[in-house]
Amino acid sequence: MTRPLKILVLVLALAVVGVACGDSGDDATTTTAAPATTAATATTAAPTTTMAPEDPISLIYVTPNPMGVNSFLILGEVGTKRAAERHGGTWKTFESVDDTTRRANIEAAIDEAPDVVVLTTFTLTEMADEYSKANPDQQFILIDSCPDEPAPNLHCGVFREHEGAYLLGVMAGHLSEAKQIGSVVALDIPFFKRWWESFWVGAQSVDPSIENSAVFIAGDNPFSDPARAKELALSLAAQGPDHIFAVGAGSNGGVFEAAAEAGFVSYGVDINQCPEAPGHIVDNNMKLVDAVVDQLIEQVLAGTAGPMVDFGLAEGGTGVMALHPDLATSECLIADYPEIVAEVERVAAGIIDGSIVVNDPLFG
Amino acid sequence: MFDQLFDAALFDSVVRAMIPILLAALGGMICERAGVFQIAMEGMMLSGAFAAVAGSYVAVYSGLGVVFAVGAGVLVSLMLAFGAVSRRGDPIVLGIALNLMAIGLTGFLLPQIFGVRGVFQHERIDGLDRLAIPVLSDIPWIGSVLFNQTILAYVAFLLVPILWLVLFRTPIGLRLRGVGERPLAAESLGVSPIAYKYGAVIASGVLSGLAGAQLALGNVVQFAENMSSGRGWVAVVAVMLGRAHPFAVFGASLLFAFAEGLGFRLQGNGLPVQITDALPFLVTLIALIAARKRFARLLDLTTGG
Repeated sequence: MTRPLKILVLVLALAVVGVACGDSGDDATTTTAAPATTAATATTAAPTTTMAPEDPISLIYVTPNPMGVNSFLILGEVGTKRAAERHGGTWKTFESVDDTTRRANIEAAIDEAPDVVVLTTFTLTEMADEYSKANPDQQFILIDSCPDEPAPNLHCGVFREHEGAYLLGVMAGHLSEAKQIGSVVALDIPFFKRWWESFWVGAQSVDPSIENSAVFIAGDNPFSDPARAKELALSLAAQGPDHIFAVGAGSNGGVFEAAAEAGFVSYGVDINQCPEAPGHIVDNNMKLVDAVVDQLIEQVLAGTAGPMVDFGLAEGGTGVMALHPDLATSECLIADYPEIVAEVERVAAGIIDGSIVVNDPLFG
Repeated sequence: MFDQLFDAALFDSVVRAMIPILLAALGGMICERAGVFQIAMEGMMLSGAFAAVAGSYVAVYSGLGVVFAVGAGVLVSLMLAFGAVSRRGDPIVLGIALNLMAIGLTGFLLPQIFGVRGVFQHERIDGLDRLAIPVLSDIPWIGSVLFNQTILAYVAFLLVPILWLVLFRTPIGLRLRGVGERPLAAESLGVSPIAYKYGAVIASGVLSGLAGAQLALGNVVQFAENMSSGRGWVAVVAVMLGRAHPFAVFGASLLFAFAEGLGFRLQGNGLPVQITDALPFLVTLIALIAARKRFARLLDLTTGG
């Protein structure tokens, strides 16, 4: 064996070990190092021949990253599992760590020809697009993202984030003593208006005189620079706002630290972030991934799913802790204000029945 | 408007933003003086930040975090020293490689060791306490800002005059500068350039490690992937702008931190983020043009060394 070849083998061996270490080792979870199969062979293995009518369903959930304690990814598995169990079917989770394992896992999933392959987050958008077009007989679900022109067998589950942000604004409108609110946002792009602008609109629905300021983290690393987010939040708080919405993904921890130091209160995103700074976070604009995965699988099985299905309060796809059964143990400040929880419930009901319209800032 | 812009909170924020940059820049300055063009501070700082959080988590004590951070910084600096000094590799190529390696390695170790991706925050991570110096910290404005900082901030402040003394008033400083400016002459006088260059690079590893500890245990108490976010590069520019002189490097670090802090404040006052975000870069650009001559000379020095 020549020396470069030895090194190559060593690198490959290390890569395999690395993949194996990435496996969280959940009992019900299997991580396969996929046998490399071409897309063509997967297409020929048509699911129709193996699917007798009484066959229970099978689902495969492919994550872009190890689940670890990532609540977003864990909820994806919860939803997949729930749908499978309701039908008495089987489910598997393939955890990926990088682009290579993502491809291997998606190919392995297609090879098994399950009823639905469930993919999550924008990281997998391009692969979802590519593999759904190469395998027209396989049904795919992609959560929280969508390619520009999805194939007919790809169904995207996206969120109406502005509804939850509006509810947070209602809370801030009632609770803000300074009558000034603010947001620390990752980037100044229209998409994030769904958070900060809707937050403001919600607060103004309570008190039209409430002022708002949004500041943007930007810089080299907007989604993962807690130190910068913290300074921005402190600087913002020094100018008056006492309720500050943290819309910065991995930078959010900095805003929460600032809240604890400077004595303002904050709001989180995506999941329940209240335990990260108990007593300083009022509530969160949550994406209930489990409910969305579950419902979208149901729609795909029934053949009613469209190319892009959006989920909001009405579908139980987004929400706030104030409306959640686990409110009492959430460590969120809103739990201390039952009268505001009741008000939020009333507004949420209004949004669901259409009597309160929350405009999507992305479309005016 | 100005009373809204300039208050103690702003200066507090400026000092916090400055400390990691200053610590790293002082290390880069020592290397510059020894004739090693050091641009690996970014990677050393990030490694230091990761190690600081890991150490603090293990012992629930920030002291061990600082020790770990210094260890990580030294480890990276040894790789740079071996490549750039012993093997006479290109320090720019090596520096960029080490910076990339630090991002990849910390991003890989985060899920392997702590089972999380992106951000690691835990109550076991003990942050650096702020130590208020009695009497001095009671001075209005300046006192609460300058004399109510973490231990690493005091270290950074004290190092500025100390390094000036060492560099310009001691034999060891003279030899170090000699090694940087005229390595052959220094060698003919019995001074080992390799030993001094190793020492300088390792010193910068220690200081950049401390910068990482300040960032991850002082400015915030958590680790986020790639959280150094270009601060090491700002330190590189601060070294150039400050012409590798301790007080000037201090001034340059202060300038960058002030531009950033002011940018945050102006954003709160309604200036678009696109403008405020460009502020530190505008300052850098203007500063680089102003310091052009010196910059050219420094490059000559490093390629000649």
